[in-house]
Amino acid sequence: MIDLAQSIVDGVLFGTTYAVIGIGFTLIFGVMHKINMSFAAASIAGAYSGLLVFLLWKTAPPIVVFATSAALAGLIGYAIYLLCFRFIPIASPLATLMSTVGMLLLVDEIIVHLTAGMPLSYPAIYDGYPIELGQLILRVDLLLVFLVCLVAMAVLLYLLYRTRLGIATRAVAQQPVAAQLCGIRLTQVNAITFVMTGTLGGIAGAMIGASVGVLSPLLSLPLTVKGLIVTVIGGLGSIPGAIVAGLLVGAFENVFQMWRGVTERDMYVMLLLFAFLVFRPGGLFRIAGARD
Amino acid sequence: MKSTALLLAATALVAFGSAAAEAQERVVKIYGFGAKSGVVRSFGINSEAAMKAAADEINKAGGIKLGDGAKGKVEVEFLDDRCNAEEGISVVRRIASTEALVAVGPTCSNVAEPLFGVLQKKAGDAGDTGLQFPIFTDVAVKGGLAKISEWAFRNVPSEAAMYDKLFAWLKTTRPELKTIYGGVEEDFAHSRATWYSVMKEKAGAGGLQVKGESKWLLADTNFSTQVREIKAAGADIVAISAHPFTTCGVLKEMRRQGVKPKLLIGLTSSSSLETLQGCAKEAEGIVIPTSFAPVTPEAETAASIVAKFNGSLDLHSGAAYENMFILKDVFESMKVMGKPDTVAADRDKVRQGLAKLQTTKGLIGTVKRTPDREAEKPFLFVYAKDAKWAVLHNPMN
Repeated sequence: MIDLAQSIVDGVLFGTTYAVIGIGFTLIFGVMHKINMSFAAASIAGAYSGLLVFLLWKTAPPIVVFATSAALAGLIGYAIYLLCFRFIPIASPLATLMSTVGMLLLVDEIIVHLTAGMPLSYPAIYDGYPIELGQLILRVDLLLVFLVCLVAMAVLLYLLYRTRLGIATRAVAQQPVAAQLCGIRLTQVNAITFVMTGTLGGIAGAMIGASVGVLSPLLSLPLTVKGLIVTVIGGLGSIPGAIVAGLLVGAFENVFQMWRGVTERDMYVMLLLFAFLVFRPGGLFRIAGARD
Repeated sequence: MKSTALLLAATALVAFGSAAAEAQERVVKIYGFGAKSGVVRSFGINSEAAMKAAADEINKAGGIKLGDGAKGKVEVEFLDDRCNAEEGISVVRRIASTEALVAVGPTCSNVAEPLFGVLQKKAGDAGDTGLQFPIFTDVAVKGGLAKISEWAFRNVPSEAAMYDKLFAWLKTTRPELKTIYGGVEEDFAHSRATWYSVMKEKAGAGGLQVKGESKWLLADTNFSTQVREIKAAGADIVAISAHPFTTCGVLKEMRRQGVKPKLLIGLTSSSSLETLQGCAKEAEGIVIPTSFAPVTPEAETAASIVAKFNGSLDLHSGAAYENMFILKDVFESMKVMGKPDTVAADRDKVRQGLAKLQTTKGLIGTVKRTPDREAEKPFLFVYAKDAKWAVLHNPMN
């Protein structure tokens, strides 16, 4: 029983990172009704770019590395907007989908070429021992990752629901034509959305790097898959859905890893996805269609 | 009339001279192939650097003496197979369609196995239309692959011999170690084969009680469950049969959970720079058998030359470096011509020459060749110390 509880706790805590990746996917989908397949790769690229700090400041504290990762990931997000969305016919969903798939591979290969594919050590958010609650062990670094991700999500929700920028973003998401007629600049809002989600992705990438302790190009593809699963299970476009689904997927895969082993684990996660697609295609938090 | 004759004679001399020069400066192209993209890109980069460094050394020493007395200048071209079986086969077919006489590679066992399958199984078998092209492998280390084809040769260490000796040595020097628990990257051919067919078997044969194994996948990021299993097993030795990324992930998780076995043992491929870049602190003390360390003057020199070609010499790229010199000797002893019209015959000469070898010169000692075209390489036990690999024991002494 204690093993089950431990697996759920570990999974939920690690699921936070899936949730943040899922939020990135869902936010872009919510605003532009497009899937950005390169989001997770860009998040990892952001985390890698945070390591550049060490070139200038060899003893830089982890917080500086994380902040740099977030800031540079925001820039990467903007570059992806320009390359994959801005100048590509927005009316053609397949064109932008394929351009972001291409970007995912491109970003991955750039990382591989710059690092020779070698794993690089990434600073931990907390380097001490875990908390022991009886037989239950709580990783302090994952608790901190959980908190950081919650704060990042709270800031994002504040931006979306309590600022003029958020009103504009939601207006574009709901009625882009009407929003334009009201004087909202569509391209500017879209670009800001990409910078925002890119920054969030940078935080996610940094937190993933901090919790694993190592960065590798191997991370991009599994995180892309997990992010998409979280987005679908949570409900396309729903931020609370992405949060809940991220934690759920984290716990679910850990429990099935314990019961059925690592080789079967992902099969059950996929079955969960199919179950949602069949029985609840709108996901946990269905968003009402309100676009032109 | 006299001046015309002189002119003709001069022209003839120039023509003869340039033909002679052409014969003198014949190019012998040796292809390398392996992963130069993807997460195992470092294997390809290091092999290419090692091959180019060796070619440079050979050329500086006068090149290769060909069958007709001409000198051949060695040129290396390295192609990327992306550690993908289909691409590896396609790359070798492309190389075989040129005038190349041999290729060194691949880096991945999952490429080597199917690739050797498309080569002619038994040399000279007219009924077998398989590719008749010699491959001399430097990196792909999964055991026993060369027996697939008589055109396949390998200069990779025998992990069975390495871990056998390691456990025997531990039995003598660390008799307090009684139990072992494994950690295995379940979806990577080399890691899986090494744990189940080598480490586990040899540990048992060495008198250790095998308490089981924990499994994870190559791209996994969360190792908490596996490390709890390792902790619960409470074994004296933890053997990690995985590549650097997950090895580091597991070692970091072990530190977090306070798992401190009496001894850590690693996979041969992890005795590289990658592990130290990823987790030098956590890897401190891990013991790994390897067929390369700069312990001889030759190995030290080779390491510094390869570094000039932007590569790092390790057990894999060290083999690529050795292969070039072995091939030079084979080309010379078998009187390879290196001409466009002798390609098929030359390839067969290379195959025969490689098959004949009883021993070859290695960077850290003499390498024995086996009848099934594999190598028995000398090896050492190294351990991670202060973010470097240091020699722990030399079983050759």
